[in-house]
Formats: sequence, C-alpha cells, structure tokens
Amino acid sequence: MSRAEVLTDQILERIKGQDVRVKREEILKRMKLLIEEFKVPESEAVRTITSYLVREYGVSREELMERESPLVRISEITKPNQWVSLKAKVVQLWDSNSPNVSQVGLIGDETGIIKFVIWTRAEMPEVQEGRSYLFKNVVTDSFQGRMQVNVNRTSKIVEIDEDIELPPREIQVVGAIISFQQNSGLIKRCGECGRVLIKGVCQVHGKVEGYDDLRIKAVLDDGESVYEIILNEGNIAGLTGIDLQKALEIAKENLDRNAVLNELRNRLLGRYFRVKGLRGGRYLLVEEIEHHKPSVSEFDHILEALA
Amino acid sequence: MIRRREVAKRVFAYELVRSTYQIEDESQPKYVLTPTGERANRIFSVAVLLDKEEIGADTNFWRLRLADPTGTFFATVGRFQPEALEVIGEINVPELIALVGKIRVFEGTSRKLVSIRPEMISAVDLSVRDYWVLETAKRTLERIKIMEERGNEDAELAWRVYNPDLEEYREMVRKAVTTVKEDVEVMERFEEEEEEIDFTGFELEEEEFDLTDLLEE
Ligand SMILES: [Zn+2]
Repeated sequence: MSRAEVLTDQILERIKGQDVRVKREEILKRMKLLIEEFKVPESEAVRTITSYLVREYGVSREELMERESPLVRISEITKPNQWVSLKAKVVQLWDSNSPNVSQVGLIGDETGIIKFVIWTRAEMPEVQEGRSYLFKNVVTDSFQGRMQVNVNRTSKIVEIDEDIELPPREIQVVGAIISFQQNSGLIKRCGECGRVLIKGVCQVHGKVEGYDDLRIKAVLDDGESVYEIILNEGNIAGLTGIDLQKALEIAKENLDRNAVLNELRNRLLGRYFRVKGLRGGRYLLVEEIEHHKPSVSEFDHILEALA
Repeated sequence: MIRRREVAKRVFAYELVRSTYQIEDESQPKYVLTPTGERANRIFSVAVLLDKEEIGADTNFWRLRLADPTGTFFATVGRFQPEALEVIGEINVPELIALVGKIRVFEGTSRKLVSIRPEMISAVDLSVRDYWVLETAKRTLERIKIMEERGNEDAELAWRVYNPDLEEYREMVRKAVTTVKEDVEVMERFEEEEEEIDFTGFELEEEEFDLTDLLEE
C-alpha cells in the first residue's frame, strides 16, 4: 500500500463512527495530489483533507481531534510530523525573536522536557510559567536534530487543574560561566505580557512603556558540556548582592543602563558555580546556584591518585 | 544553520603549547589534538596575565603573555574580539584572569607555535584559579587513563602523532596541584581564623556592656 493509501485509511478510520458519506477514492485522489504531486508534508496533507471533510461533509472537528492525536508522554515523542496531545507544565518561557512566534520555551511532564513553539497565527491564549496545560493536537517536529512540539491553528491549549510533575532527574553541575547572551542585565519587560522589550518594542504589543527587571542568559561550561542557563533577579541578587533596586541605582549613577551589565560581567564571568536544576536538552533550568570553591581534600584525592 | 557551541576544554599551559597537530578532516570547526588526546577547538584557562603589548602604535591589537602553574603561553586580541579587547584595554598587569578562546596553530621560524584568540577575558580571584587547576588536573588524568588504555580514536592518533611520555604529563599535574594546594590550605586556615575572630568579637561586646555598667557605678 502506498503512503497515500495508508493515510487515507487512517482518515477513514477516524471518521468511521460519524455519519459521513464520503468515498475512499475521493480522499485518496486528494491525498495523492497533495503528497505525491505537490510534495506537501504528510501532516499538512492530512490536515488539509481533514479541514475539507469538516467543511464539505460536516465532519465534527472536535471528535476528529480526539481520535487524531493520542495523548502521549514527552519521552514518547521521537518522530517528527506526528499529531499528539500531551499534558505538561510550562517550565520556562524564552524571548521569541521572530514575529511569527507568539511564545517559545520548555514544557515538561514526569518523563521529560521538550521545547515548544506557539505560532502567532495559531492565535492561542498565552501560557504562563509554572502552570499545567493540556496541549491538544500539537505537531511534533525536529529542529537542529532535537524534537519539539508546534502549536498551530488546529491545536488547543486548555489549562488543567493538575500540577504536572517534572522528571525527577535533577542534575548538579559545577562549571564556569563563560559567556553572557544578548538581552542580559537590566532589561525592560512588556507590562501586558512580560516579554522582554527589544529597543522599547514588545513583539506583540509594539512600543510600550514596560517595567524594569534583572536577568542574565548565560552559558555554563564544565569542560564536557555546555548549558544555557537563565538567572532571575533572585539568583543574581544571591550571587552579587545586586537586586533590581541596586541595579537601577547603578544605572542612574552612570547615566547608563549598560553599566549594570558591565558590573555583572565583572563579577560573574569566568567564575565557577554549582548549579542544581533540571536538564532539558542543552538547557539547564536553574533551581539553585551558588559560587563554587575547591577544598583541600579534593587536591589530596588527586595527589593520591598520582602516587 | 546554527552550530552547536563548542565546549571549552581544560588544558594546562605545558600541554597547550605542545598541541601543534591540527586535525585534518572535513569537520568544522577545526580542532587541534593535544598530546594527551584531547580534541579542542576552544579552551577555558585561568592564568596570570604577565604582559600585554600593543603591536604597533594605536593598532588596538594586543599580544598577551600568560602563565599558569605549569608554563607560559601566548594570546592575541584584536578588534574581532570586542569584549575581550575592552577588558584588555583597561587591565593592569600582572593580573589573574579567566579566559575563553580559540586555539590557533601557526608556523613559527623554526617550529609550529600555539596561540589563543580570547573571546572572553575577566579578572578573577585566586579561588577561581584553584578550582581551575583542580578541574584541569582531573580532566588531564582522565585523558592519561584513556591514553594508557588506547581507549578511543583520538588517543590512538595522539600516540601516533606525539608518542608522549605520559609520566611527564603526570608530573605536570602533580606540580600544578601541589603548588596550588598550599594556597588553598592557607585560605582555609585563614577562613577558620576569621570565624574565630567573629566569635571573639561577640564576646568582647558583652564585656564592653559589663564595663559600661561598672563605669556608671
Ligand atoms: Zn507585550
């Protein structure tokens, strides 16, 4: 059986219970046209035909979705172009640097952590860090060799009452902060959505006043792996004594908001830290961070090994 | 396509300046192979900046001489490393610094030379140096073990290219660890004493209070 036939039968299977009189040949013809002639990705082809059936034959979209995308765990996501649903907690939101992306970050369940992208054209309500949701009918995708899930127009995001547990695999890394990434230091966030403003502009709400915040996006390197970490105001204050208030004073004294970034660079770059947190791909979600110093006993261990 | 960020490897100066073999294959970025079989594109080091010299007047191109407990090495900073350049402009030598940089191998007059192109430079305190020595010692001993077992392709290649005397590299580690350990011992003792002083201070305060009472009488 050809792929077109397989996919056609899958669609037929999904609408079986519904009282729909559509011929297999009709679906197959469209499927062949889309994937064999126009080389449309399979998931897009299925979606297009499904929409056609909803429109022309009164197929219930709700019912279709239920069957279309099985509820899976994050660890089961291994192949691109699968329609799935999952219950997960938003563990970290990042800045999106594309107007096409509404929100991007990491979600997790007890089996793992995965990157998610909510496309702007999906017109979804915004998700919040720390809250759990049912992500219905999302598409798996592979980007730079790593899996992610995409939320698009046919997806649905519903907040749920459960508190989804994250994987118990907390790791501890001692490494040096070797680089700060863009938009670190004293930043401004949009009052409406919390996104970081780039030159005073929120990518969704345009030019806004915004409020001040302190954060660092950094690269931690332990000689074996690199991790991207984000330090919030609490982490930064704990390490340097510079909280938001102090940062604003530094900016005011120097008539330059960048003075804060320079000060943080001087205090943190090239130093060693012990970081405890959850690992999701190359991201390490900081739960605790502290300065790390060696003890004499560690030196003795090495000398013993050399003896 | 965004490439995966290269890990900054830990290599002592003694080994670094002997790492003259560039791995010739299609892979990008380019790697050098160290005598104990490390494949490195970038390093992280904590060293004393002994000297900085501007090459030509107002070129803003600097040659740096650095030392860790095992030896010295060179680095060059120019306008393509703006962050490192800014720090170098302001720093006074000698100063202890942490640096991350790419390894470059070039032909000298009589032999191949190794130099670092720093991307990040930051003045740090001794405890950073101490941990770096410890970490670099551990990594080096791990590599020596793999060399002994001929445990991977890079180890095999290092044997063919350098045929290193591993005892020489063990000695390098021993030297670095021993030197720094003394400093760490002094620091730990100093910190213990500080704690004791705090405690004494607290007692004194109480005595002072008693004294005031006495004076009032
Ligand atoms: Zn906004």
